[in-house]
Amino acid sequence: MIGFRGVRKTYKMSGVRKVILDGLSLDLPGDKNIAILGQNGAGKSTLMRLIAGAELPDAGRIMRYAKVSWPLGFGGGFNGTMSGVENARFVARMYGEDPDEVISYVEEFSELGPSMRLPIKTYSSGMRARLAFGVSMAIEFKYYLIDEITAVGDARFKKKCNEVFEEKLKDSNILMISHSNEMLRRYCQSGCVLHQGHLYYYEDISDAIDMHNHLQNQ
Amino acid sequence: MSDAKAENPFLVQLRVIGALVLRETKVTFGAVQLGYMWAILEPVLGTAILTLVFSFVTRHPPIGTSFPLFFATGIITFQFYQKLSSSLMTVFEGNRGLMAYPLVKETDVVIARFTLITATYLFVYIVFFSALIVFGLAEFPANLGVVLLAVASVALLGLGAGLTNAVIYLLWPTWARVEAIITRPMFFLSGVFFIPDAFPPHIRYILSWNPMLHGIDWFRTGYYPHYKSATLDVPYLLFYVMILLVIAFSSERLFRKHQK
Repeated sequence: MIGFRGVRKTYKMSGVRKVILDGLSLDLPGDKNIAILGQNGAGKSTLMRLIAGAELPDAGRIMRYAKVSWPLGFGGGFNGTMSGVENARFVARMYGEDPDEVISYVEEFSELGPSMRLPIKTYSSGMRARLAFGVSMAIEFKYYLIDEITAVGDARFKKKCNEVFEEKLKDSNILMISHSNEMLRRYCQSGCVLHQGHLYYYEDISDAIDMHNHLQNQ
Repeated sequence: MSDAKAENPFLVQLRVIGALVLRETKVTFGAVQLGYMWAILEPVLGTAILTLVFSFVTRHPPIGTSFPLFFATGIITFQFYQKLSSSLMTVFEGNRGLMAYPLVKETDVVIARFTLITATYLFVYIVFFSALIVFGLAEFPANLGVVLLAVASVALLGLGAGLTNAVIYLLWPTWARVEAIITRPMFFLSGVFFIPDAFPPHIRYILSWNPMLHGIDWFRTGYYPHYKSATLDVPYLLFYVMILLVIAFSSERLFRKHQK
């Protein structure tokens, strides 16, 4: 379960204040896969970073009752001068997992081969994404936060990603941002719509998508 | 799978800091060939140059008979402080990407960098002074306890200054340049190549506002068997360190939202 208590988050950009969350109090159930919907710029990614704890609210508290991942597919925490192996080792150490196990999993999964031993700054964006995805899958979380994961690599690699994902979903849950309704319906049972500082929760993903479409057509 | 709730948060924090220290070591010393060698060479060269210059100008160092020992006590201690205060200034910027990991707290990256720099300089101290002792240029410290206390106070002074710098830098990036200009005279005012008692009282009074002067003086009081300083004010130094740490950590907490 993820609980919000009076959470307020605003952004000030070039003098214009934008409200992302206006005093949100809500509990998101811990046994459902939940989609996060909202118009462009409503603050979906910010909401996800708040849930991850990568960003702090202006006021209020967010309570995580289980191990939550960082926003998935994210590779910003990687250091460019360090190799893939070294970056994976760092994340493993941080989460108290066996570094060797994590590294061999990532090597196997990402199919980067000898590039795993090269500095990340020499990687293409596709290679980077494969490493990032591999590392996130190597660590066990109760909640995986997925911000617009555009599957990386060729069709075969995409298939592999989906398989790992289905496997993870047996013990874990996801919170997902995606512009593809098909993806959302496939993975999520419930949904939230973020609109003008308010977050509305719907038990049924179809209701959430309907509401989202309704708001978009306004 | 380990449940986040079941884990002791203190142990998690220690583990994260440990991982950060190892990562920081890799980033700092991994990229440069002989990276760790440079950390040693810097004070060696500084001491050598000062020794060369001053042994032409005067016959005796202000205390004792060894020029290298006198300058080493000043230079390494000063560089240790300066390294902390300048490296910590950019600690948040350099590690912004890491903030996306929920486990990493702002203070963790600060403590990790502080730990690495302190470990490096302890190593430098040991290597350098051992070499001086082996070559007969120095004796073993007269009062190791006092020396270590002086090093600890300089470390905390550097932490306080560095973290305060980091917060100001966050709010006003030009601070990096301004700070460099403001603190440039520090090297000449901290007693690296003089002892404060050599000056007349009114100058000594002005110099004595600088906490680093006391840090270096305290170090020398511990190292040399017969050196007594009339200027050294340990309570002032410790009080300064305490106030600075309170300012540093509370302003970090206050302005944390600016970065996450």
